[in-house]
Amino acid sequence: MKGFTALFLVWTLLSPDSGGGEAWPTHTACRDGSLEVLYQSCDPLQDFGFSVDQCSKQLKSNLNIRFGIILREDIKELFLDVALFTKGSSILNYSYPICEEDLPKFTFCGRRKGEQIYYAGPINNPGFEVPVGEYQVLLELYNENHSTVACANATVICS
Amino acid sequence: MMPPTRLAGTLIPAMAFLSCLRPESWDPCVQVVPNTTYQCMELNLYKIPDNIPKSTKKLDLSFNPLRRLGSHSFSNFPELQVLDLSRCEIQMIEDDAYQGLNHLSTLILTGNPIQKLALGAFSGLSSLQTLVAVETNLASLEDFPIGHLKTLKELNVAHNLIHSFQLPEYFSNMPHLEHLDLFNNKIQNIYHKDLHVLRQMPLINLSLDLSLNPLDFIQPGAFKEIKLNELTLRSNFDSIDVMKTCIEGLAGLKINRLVLGQFKNERNLKRFDKSVLEGLCNMTIEEFRAAHFDDFSEDSIDLFNCLANVSKISLVSLDLSELKSFPKSFRWQALESVKCNFEQFPTLELPSLKRLVFTSNRGLNSFTEVKLPSLEFLDLSRNGLSFKGCCSWRDLETTRLKHLDLSFNDVITMSSNFMGLEQLEYLDFQHSNLKQGNDFPVFLSLKNLRYLDISYTNTRVVFHGVFDGLVSLQVLKMAGNSFKDNSLPNVFRALTNLTSLDLSKCQLEQVSQEAFYSLPRLRLLNMSYNNLLSLDTLPYKPLHSLQILDCSFNRIVASKGQELQHFPSSLASLNLTQNDFACVCEHQSFLQWVKDQRDILVDVEQLVCAKSSDMQGMPVLSFRNATCQMNKTIIGISVFAVLTVSVVVVLVYKFYFHLMLLAGCKKYGKGESTYDAFVIYSSHDEDWVRNELVKNLEEGVPPFQLCLHYRDFIPGVAIAANIIQEGFHKSRKVIVVVSQHFIQSRWCIFEYEIAQTWQFLNSHAGIIFIVLQKLEKSLLRQQVELYRLLSRNTYLEWEDSVLGRHIFWRRLRKALLDGKTWSPEETADAESNQHDAENST
Repeated sequence: MKGFTALFLVWTLLSPDSGGGEAWPTHTACRDGSLEVLYQSCDPLQDFGFSVDQCSKQLKSNLNIRFGIILREDIKELFLDVALFTKGSSILNYSYPICEEDLPKFTFCGRRKGEQIYYAGPINNPGFEVPVGEYQVLLELYNENHSTVACANATVICS
Repeated sequence: MMPPTRLAGTLIPAMAFLSCLRPESWDPCVQVVPNTTYQCMELNLYKIPDNIPKSTKKLDLSFNPLRRLGSHSFSNFPELQVLDLSRCEIQMIEDDAYQGLNHLSTLILTGNPIQKLALGAFSGLSSLQTLVAVETNLASLEDFPIGHLKTLKELNVAHNLIHSFQLPEYFSNMPHLEHLDLFNNKIQNIYHKDLHVLRQMPLINLSLDLSLNPLDFIQPGAFKEIKLNELTLRSNFDSIDVMKTCIEGLAGLKINRLVLGQFKNERNLKRFDKSVLEGLCNMTIEEFRAAHFDDFSEDSIDLFNCLANVSKISLVSLDLSELKSFPKSFRWQALESVKCNFEQFPTLELPSLKRLVFTSNRGLNSFTEVKLPSLEFLDLSRNGLSFKGCCSWRDLETTRLKHLDLSFNDVITMSSNFMGLEQLEYLDFQHSNLKQGNDFPVFLSLKNLRYLDISYTNTRVVFHGVFDGLVSLQVLKMAGNSFKDNSLPNVFRALTNLTSLDLSKCQLEQVSQEAFYSLPRLRLLNMSYNNLLSLDTLPYKPLHSLQILDCSFNRIVASKGQELQHFPSSLASLNLTQNDFACVCEHQSFLQWVKDQRDILVDVEQLVCAKSSDMQGMPVLSFRNATCQMNKTIIGISVFAVLTVSVVVVLVYKFYFHLMLLAGCKKYGKGESTYDAFVIYSSHDEDWVRNELVKNLEEGVPPFQLCLHYRDFIPGVAIAANIIQEGFHKSRKVIVVVSQHFIQSRWCIFEYEIAQTWQFLNSHAGIIFIVLQKLEKSLLRQQVELYRLLSRNTYLEWEDSVLGRHIFWRRLRKALLDGKTWSPEETADAESNQHDAENST
């Protein structure tokens, strides 16, 4: 028994701190013959689920997406920042308000920390043909206090 | 090997010691505000930490697997005001779990799968105002044991499984209840009896949110004689028929604000009909809001028939493309229309309307006149509208307008100077394209205007009187415009009450000295994102009230000149980040000034040196004056050294012979000879010998003693004897002054020949030739020996120029010094005596 105690103490002293530094796994948001979208959460607090229903080189407008997350912050207001890169150089930066406090647009607006939200529906995107190449997309959702709600590093591979 | 017991015996004290060393005893929680606010979110805590101070007022324990709350769980925190238990996997809350929390005002239980809630679970909590029980598997309000919470103001039970709208009897205990959030529950039917408690105990400040409940039926009369503050019904109905009957069921309700609508992602109604809103006629509504209804049928002007007595109306994201005009003579005082897809600007004639917000209607072309005689507030921003003649009272038929927002539109032509709109206090044109705003004092009549925004309006300020008349203006924003010659003139002469001025992104390269002359009350000045090259303090000198000055994102290299003392003493914040500072010694005093001003400089650590200097990317603060002093000393020393050396060299050159005299080793002595040189010359050259040779050699330094026949030959002795006795015997050297006359003179040739013989006898070089003038070769050839010598030996040539003379005398002096005995005088005398003795023998 005493030996066990000693071993336990040694273990507690020597064991490295758990958590921190580990990256979340990379998920596939969609994949078909020519287009593949991969993403990885860049929020150290949590991973989340995301998928795009239709995935083709000829991108349709108002794509249907699914998005599920457990909120770590209240979202009275919610903003989306999108940054698009290719080969390390920035192509596009875009900021968009998703939720406003007054008559919010979406059902998930105004939800509380700890609540699970799930969105399945269209997004307001234009249709276009994706040029061949590999793109990095940094997406960040944040609330009125600039606290990160969700963050993703996505890679779009179009061949 | 050490036995395990002993190992443990040493480790336990060690661990105890280490735990004592921990600086923060509340570990692993984060101390947000000492002794008051602690954050323990997602730390895998299985129990409530006990090392947090008793005085804690805000405690966040969210995302920890606490699982169950036993009684008196929080007795350690009697001061607690806010307790966050979101997602703590709490399934069971026992009796008296929160007992003792008499100051708790907010309790958050979001996301806990509560299965068992003891009847006394919320006992205590005598000050609770907000209870958030979102997503907690709550099935009924009736069974929720909160009846004793008399102070409750907000009850949020959204995202639960509540089927019944039965408002529990205990609400009559809660006179302060203001918010009941039943968003996203399972309520289908509302019956008359459900609101029984509100008839007994009216809660006129209550706001009810029933959005996302699948409402099917509202019993007619259920809301009769009920007074509420707000009722929100969004995305509740599957069809317009259900919606119609349900709205009819609201008959008799007196309400301050009614919100109907859908969410963008929960639009269940395929079309919308004006009949849906007919039920509103039986309600008393103060404010009506509608959001996200699609496809209104044609002729939707009748839509508002039941809203004639509403005082405020808001329409957000409705498809009102068919609506040509709003109804006349309604009692609306405020009308808001956002994103309503109007295809043309609607006709508006509402005598009572005070406030009109009509924004984000893309697809409109031009503004048409309206008749709104009571209008005080007008927001027409983000419509892409063009205004042909802005602005006068005729466009709006009002003289009461105080607030006018025409931002984010298309071309606005300023053709009249706000005639009849003298009451204006707020005017916003930003991001519209202002035309002709710069030709005349367009704002002259706006004596009451306090706020003016003409940012990004493509305005190029040329006319200096553009802001004349704005005597009350406090805030002027004109970022993203430009000025003539990119220089800021004094266009602000009338703005004596201005407190805030934004001149960012105006391409300014310089600021004239008088620019801010008439702004004694200015507190905030934004000059960022311009092209200023230097920091000039003089223009800011008259700004006696200036507190904040932003000069970031310019190209400031350093200060203009060296003086930087004229910033107003009221200045509390100066932003100089993102400039092109030159960290060179030339601007040493400016860099020192930066260091001295570090208290008022924003992000002083972020000030970095520009690319061109050696210290590229280094903080300005790291610039050391010592490097400059070092450089100065080095330069000073080297210059001094070079000067000294050259002076010494010059002096040595100049006083070469003096130095030789001074130097002890070369003491001047007469040696064996009385004379230093015997001069052989023709009497024709006597002038030169007397005036030049004698003067320079005998009176110069070192003084030489020459033997000259006219002076030193002893009278009465034969010339030949004199030549030999006085000339050659007593002289060390012989100077031969060669000239035309010399060659022709017999005595000279005689003397020269003796000199040659004497040189031969003494066997040392003693003859110095001085050629006074160019000689004819034929003449010279007569004296074969002389000719041979002159062509073989180096001779001195007399040249009558300053440099030539200088060189001549130096060479001659050197030649005369050569071979001179520099021994002390006594020995020299002794030697000469000895020689004399030898000679006499």
